[in-house]
Amino acid sequence: MALFSIKNLTFTYPDQGPTEHYSAQPALRDLSFDVEEGEFLVICGKSGCGKTTLLRHFKTALSPYGRREGEVLFRGEPLAEVGQRRQAASIGYVLQSPDNQLVTDKVWHELAFGLENLGTPQEVIRLRVAEMASFFGIEGWFDRDVEELSGGQKQLLNLASVMAMQPEVLVLDEPTSQLDPIAAGDFLSTLHKINRELGTAVVLIEHRLEEVFPMADRVLVLEEGRLPCLDTPARTGKLLAGRDLFAAMPAPMQIYEGCGGPGVCPLTVREGRRWLREVCDEAVREDGEPPREVCASSDRSASGRSAADQAGVRRGKRAAESARTPLIEAKEVWFRYEKELPDVIRDLSLMVYPGETFCLLGGNGAGKSTLLSLLSGIHRPTRGKIRLEGKTLDSFRKNGLFDGFLGVLPQNPQCLFVADTVEDDLSEMLSERKDLSREEKRERIRQVAERTQIGHLLKSHPYDLSGGEQQRAALAKVLLLEPRLILLDEPTKGLDGFYKRTLAEIFQELKEAGATIFLVSHDIEFCASYGDRCGMMFDGNIVTARPAREFFRGNSFYTTAANRMARDIFPDAVTAEDVVTAYRALQRGGEDGTHEE
Amino acid sequence: MRDTFSTFHPGINFLLFAAVMGVAVFSMHPVFLATALLTGALYYRRLAGRKARRFLLGMIPVFLISSAVNPLFSHQGMSLLFYMWDGNPVTLESIAYGAASGAMLVGMLLWFACLNAAMTSDKWIYLFGRMLPALSLVLSMTLRFVPRFRRQMGRIADAQKCVGRDVSSGNAAQRAGHGLKLLSILATWALENSVETADSMKSRGYGLRGRTNYSIYRFDTRDRMLAVALCLAFLWTAACLVSGRVRMLCYPLLEMNALTPLSLSAYTAYLALCLTPLLLDLWEDVQWLYFRSKI
Repeated sequence: MALFSIKNLTFTYPDQGPTEHYSAQPALRDLSFDVEEGEFLVICGKSGCGKTTLLRHFKTALSPYGRREGEVLFRGEPLAEVGQRRQAASIGYVLQSPDNQLVTDKVWHELAFGLENLGTPQEVIRLRVAEMASFFGIEGWFDRDVEELSGGQKQLLNLASVMAMQPEVLVLDEPTSQLDPIAAGDFLSTLHKINRELGTAVVLIEHRLEEVFPMADRVLVLEEGRLPCLDTPARTGKLLAGRDLFAAMPAPMQIYEGCGGPGVCPLTVREGRRWLREVCDEAVREDGEPPREVCASSDRSASGRSAADQAGVRRGKRAAESARTPLIEAKEVWFRYEKELPDVIRDLSLMVYPGETFCLLGGNGAGKSTLLSLLSGIHRPTRGKIRLEGKTLDSFRKNGLFDGFLGVLPQNPQCLFVADTVEDDLSEMLSERKDLSREEKRERIRQVAERTQIGHLLKSHPYDLSGGEQQRAALAKVLLLEPRLILLDEPTKGLDGFYKRTLAEIFQELKEAGATIFLVSHDIEFCASYGDRCGMMFDGNIVTARPAREFFRGNSFYTTAANRMARDIFPDAVTAEDVVTAYRALQRGGEDGTHEE
Repeated sequence: MRDTFSTFHPGINFLLFAAVMGVAVFSMHPVFLATALLTGALYYRRLAGRKARRFLLGMIPVFLISSAVNPLFSHQGMSLLFYMWDGNPVTLESIAYGAASGAMLVGMLLWFACLNAAMTSDKWIYLFGRMLPALSLVLSMTLRFVPRFRRQMGRIADAQKCVGRDVSSGNAAQRAGHGLKLLSILATWALENSVETADSMKSRGYGLRGRTNYSIYRFDTRDRMLAVALCLAFLWTAACLVSGRVRMLCYPLLEMNALTPLSLSAYTAYLALCLTPLLLDLWEDVQWLYFRSKI
């Protein structure tokens, strides 16, 4: 018997609120599928496609309010008739935000919370808590306050405290979206371990598909509440080719499809490398020449001149032209938060030039966010100088820094929202400007809203927007101050591929309007695709800062999946498109060779 | 500094602090007060390490001021010493009472500081949560929210500062306006996010009947032995006080019990009570040295 059977499930949210056009149509339409015992099922789809709505139907305590047709069966029994106690224990639910899910102040108490609710006796709780703490490697911080933990640890704790109740199935709603790549990797591999070693079924919404595809048994794709496909990861790629959603697939699969899909679809970088080697050899062998050398030489001639690469060269050149007057100049900056604490920023020097997009990458605690706070004048360096456009931060008039020069977008956009609608929120930004007439203000808001693509959301409450929309609304607020330099702290955190692309378009427009963008990020793929120059921060210092392409070409581990997969064949290719272009060129080269004969 | 006493059962911790402070406050006996004061200072030094110095030095003016206040305003007592400029008498008894209350105040402050370090929040919750299980969860959740809100407030303030809404600049009206704005953002944020917390609680079965309370504390043999010793010391001291064998009277005339074997035993018992945390540490140190010498 299947663990869960969903039968003809259709769900419509009640028709109310400012976003009426959403609820006019059902959020889920006629879904039917089973979740098998011990299965690892990944659900993917664009934001707003109904993933979360679907997931919330797996537990009655969380089911949204609205009109529902069809059935959800848990082990053959309608879910609504399964007792709350049994549901609480057997269906474990982990949500997106690591912080919001924690209820108590101590790690041990959090682990015990669910069992306390179930009325489990002391001795049993003691055993279960001990088991979970060892399974998850929590012993080291068992006694701590939850507030002292890092985001990754918090999310592991959330998982552990659900696992302590010994659920039969784990339901997770984008559990890694707020984590950095390393913590996300840890979390997902722990999840895989649970699935493999304990046989707990996993239903997971995730957009880090590169990591979860190799773990998944099946992938369920949702599109506007419908279910276009439910299949193994390898076949999912085939089925989705050509659709919007395909852009979210792992790089090896994208390259595979882009190259026309010969052979078996690779899921991981390791498989991808082997596959690419084979197809390249094949493509060149038609030429009759020894494959290895041609591959090596053709990457100089063909891929080295690929269109994408030329764009990179051009971008690099533009940056070099304006090299005379740096917009940000940091010279041997040191910083620590308190006298007794260690230095967070050590001997850091940095130049950012007008009109470029500079991406600063680096691990957790490398000092990236601290650097942003120094650049925005929230903290002052203990030693060294920071100049913006040649002027020291102190010489800016009070608040003059933020008026028409510097815009800062915080990591959590919710820190900026003050009003009940996006429109009021935007006009609040201009409320202290006496020199603008009402029409001028309205005009500015209209322009900014258009530029950030939030025109249709102006009447909504900021908190009702999705993550990507909130990000853009906050960006609109910052843009109303007409900054020439925009600092962003992890703008792509929690965004799916589609929103990232929209964000990149906005950046591009801003740059064309003459703005300079400095962003701090964990998102290697995003920086590789859209950054002009990239720097890597480590231990309070910028280790290297180079044009994006060069930067990723030079790294062996800290680089895109596409580059890791293709680096010994096409060392210049950084994105999936680059690899595909290079491969096509290689193929064409091979064909040309045959024609000449 | 690792404190052995803190590792005992919270009930024992609480018992000791209650006994030490109760005896000192209700007896107002100079020997007990001096004992509490000195041991409190020593124990605090042990708990807080080098940071203790400033706090301890700060206690001296507190002691002086609070001892000086009583003779200034209270003129009871029979042993007249001299007249003040305004013609009011200063008596030996009022000076003695002032000194005693100063010592009591400082002693209590010191022991409260130790209490604060030794009795962490979860111990309080454990002790008093049993009476009201719902309250203990609320306490625990509150303790989680306070640092969280504080951190979020900092983030919001920074973000607002970067859009020119700085609480620390502008005229009073602007600053107040910006401050209110920060609070309103924090409130919206808190409400919005608490929805997810509620979901997480519900999905883990909060609200089902028959909730139990888990704790990581156990009452073992070590706790039992110490509990017996503490109770004996406390009861003996209390018995001597209640029976009037050990007493101190300030008004109308200073009167104190003589030094008899019985009163001496009560002093010793109280000293032992106060020194328990330090003695436990000492005992631990000695044991370690002994173990190491055997290797």
